[in-house]
Order: sequence, then C-alpha cells, then structure tokens
Amino acid sequence: MYGEIGNKLVQHAKRTQSLAHLPPYQTEMVRAVTREVRDLDKDVAAILEPFAGSFDPSTEPATACALLVNHLCMRRNKRCLLAYHRVRSDKLEEMCWSGIDVLERQQQNPNRTGGEGSNTMGVDGNSSSLSPEEEEYVRQYSDLLAAYKGQWTDIDLTGSLDPPKDLFIDVRVLKDAGEIQTEYGAITLTKNSQFYVRQGDVERLIAQGYLQRLS
Amino acid sequence: MDIDDLLAEVTADAIPKETRDLQELTRAWVAERVAPELLLYPDALMERVLERIRKQIELVEEQTGNMDPKSGFKLIIIQTELERFKFLVRSFLRARIKKIDSHPLHVLQTHTSNPTLLSPSELQYLTQHQALLSQHYASSFLSQFPAALQRLDDTAGGVSMIEKPDEDTAVFCRALRDVGEVVVEGTDKRFEIQRGDVSVIRWSAVRRAVLSGDIELI
Repeated sequence: MYGEIGNKLVQHAKRTQSLAHLPPYQTEMVRAVTREVRDLDKDVAAILEPFAGSFDPSTEPATACALLVNHLCMRRNKRCLLAYHRVRSDKLEEMCWSGIDVLERQQQNPNRTGGEGSNTMGVDGNSSSLSPEEEEYVRQYSDLLAAYKGQWTDIDLTGSLDPPKDLFIDVRVLKDAGEIQTEYGAITLTKNSQFYVRQGDVERLIAQGYLQRLS
Repeated sequence: MDIDDLLAEVTADAIPKETRDLQELTRAWVAERVAPELLLYPDALMERVLERIRKQIELVEEQTGNMDPKSGFKLIIIQTELERFKFLVRSFLRARIKKIDSHPLHVLQTHTSNPTLLSPSELQYLTQHQALLSQHYASSFLSQFPAALQRLDDTAGGVSMIEKPDEDTAVFCRALRDVGEVVVEGTDKRFEIQRGDVSVIRWSAVRRAVLSGDIELI
C-alpha cells in the first residue's frame, strides 16, 4: 500500500532507460497500482461521507491529514504510471525513428528468447514484451512518423545524423541483400563482398544490418 | 555606428544570397541545437533552401546519364554539397522534433500565444502525437482512474504537470553587434557585451538579444 508498487515501477523504468531492448510490460504491477489508486479514492470517499460536504480541516486535523496522505499517494501513483509508460513509449518512438520494425521483431523474438524471458521476468507465457496498447501505439506512431516524413521526401529525415564527410564509402556485405539499383548501375550484394558505393544509396541497408561500413 | 558597423554592412551585401542563406541555416541549426527552448521556425529561409535542394536534385538526375568525365567531377561536387545541405536541414528538423517531443504541452501553449513558433507540419505532428499519447495512457491505465485525476495538464496542488525546459541553463554565445548591458536575472551580475565578445551565460539573460540577431549561439 501507499506507493510501494509505484516505486517498483519507477525502478523498472529507470532500468529500461539503460537497456538496449524493451523488457516485458509489467501488466500485473500496472494493474496493482491502478487498483491501489481506486482503493485510495474509495477510502477518501468513505472518510468524507459522514461529513456530507461540510468538512472543515481545522476542526479535524487528524482526518485532514489522512485525506492529504491519500490524495498525495494517488497523485504520486499517477506520476509513477505516467513515467513508466512515457519511458517505454519514448523507447518505442526511438526504435521507430531508427527504422527498426518493432512489431515484426516482437513476433520473431518469442521463438528465440521467449523461454528465457519467462524464467527471469516471471511473465506468464505471454511472449510479447509489449502490451496490446503499446502495440497499437507503435502502429499509429509509425503512421504518424511516415506522414511527417512524407512532407520532407528530399531530406530523408530518418537518415544519418552524422555529418557526411565523403560521398562514397567502403562497405562490406554481412548478409545477402540481393540486387540494388544505383545511378551507376545495378550492384549485386552477396555476402562477404566489398563495395565502394555512394553513401546515400546504402544508408538504409547499413541501418538494417545488411552492410557494414569500413572506415 | 562606427567604421566596423559600416564595414559589416558593406560586406554583408557583397556576399551572394545563396551563401548568406547557408550562413543563416547554419546559424539556425547551431542555435536550435544549443538553445534549451524551441526557437521560431524560419519559414522563408527553409522555403528557399528546400527549393534549392530540389533544383539541385533535378540537376543531378538530369546529368547522371552524361558520361563526360568533366561533368562527372562537377556532379560529385554538387552531390557532396547536396548531402551536406540535406544533413543540415535533417539535423535541424530532428533537433526541433526532439524538443517538441520532450515538452509537448508547453510547446503547444507557447505556440498558441505565438503562432509562428511551429511550422504547420510540426504543429500537425505535435497535436497528433499528443492525441496518440493521451489515448495510449488512457487505454493503459488512466481510464480506470477517478475522474478528478484523469487530466494530463493538472495544476492542482501547486505543482503543474506541464514541464518547461530549463531556461537558466548556460549557453555559449558570441556577440555580432554591441549589445550593451546585460542583466542576469536573480543575481546582481550585470556586464557589457561588445561586438565579438564570447561568453558563457544563462540562456534567459541573452534570450532577447539572440532572437533579435544581436548575439549568436555557438
């Protein structure tokens, strides 16, 4: 009671910030905190009931104090929940910006790490680390991002944020990526081969992990 | 006005418009990355720059088929320049989006009182993103809260839920013109800033001079 679970949620959020991946959504905890808020609200209503709207804090300091503590706890819990969700949605947005398909990755992961995840995190067989609401959010946010990006087609907003030094770069192919079209003709990207190509042509492939930049 | 100012004006006119736009864009980009709060959207400048980028892309596309080695070399230079311009614009816009995302409600409030702060597409992004977020919060937990606690912009209890950027962070800046006396609010520090001076100072103290173009951020 009184903010303990909220605190745990915040610790979770703090930990999430320094992780590369997104840990599973703490459905149970979120539910517990929400329940706590509702219980506190009921308490407040119950305390206030006998006064029938004519409560005077100065005549009943003890009751006023109890009410204040309840109110503060509710607000604090709300902040904890907001912070937890904000950290996670920020993380998801970041993934959207860097071109990672979060939803697709979610579907692939369970086969590889699902078992391990459920041992350490105590998640009951739920393989996705996103809540259904978060999945929906990611979907809508990617649409929004695509719409905003669409207004800047010439610039490619999700492109590299390092200042460009050379027009052409050396790349090594890590995974077969098939054939790509460039202004200088088609290149077939087969594994372990090396190319000297225009940076703008292959930026997306580097981000997706098909190519590695050689410096 | 002394000889320096006169010289400055003469040289400013001698520089071609394109170069000045690049200078302006670079300045806006640096300022946007350094300043703690969102700055005004340079509407006219962006339009000119984007127009030029589009023209260059067209030029490059037109000449790509040309196998003449001389023009090939010229193309590489044009493309390199193009990439740099694109980087500037991209980085500039991303810096703005980052600020918009970190203080959405505050930016929205400021925009309402000063409608040139955001570009139309940024405003659209902001409002839609905010709608998405509050919907996400609501469906995740907020809808089960008591009605009095469901707001996201609550100011009850003496604490506003809307966070503001820290306007007192220090910034590095250089004076482009004589500014005169600057007073740092909350302290009794006051000093003269003259043309060419570089100082580290609170953003709130130089904010006005930066917006009017007397001081640039570095």
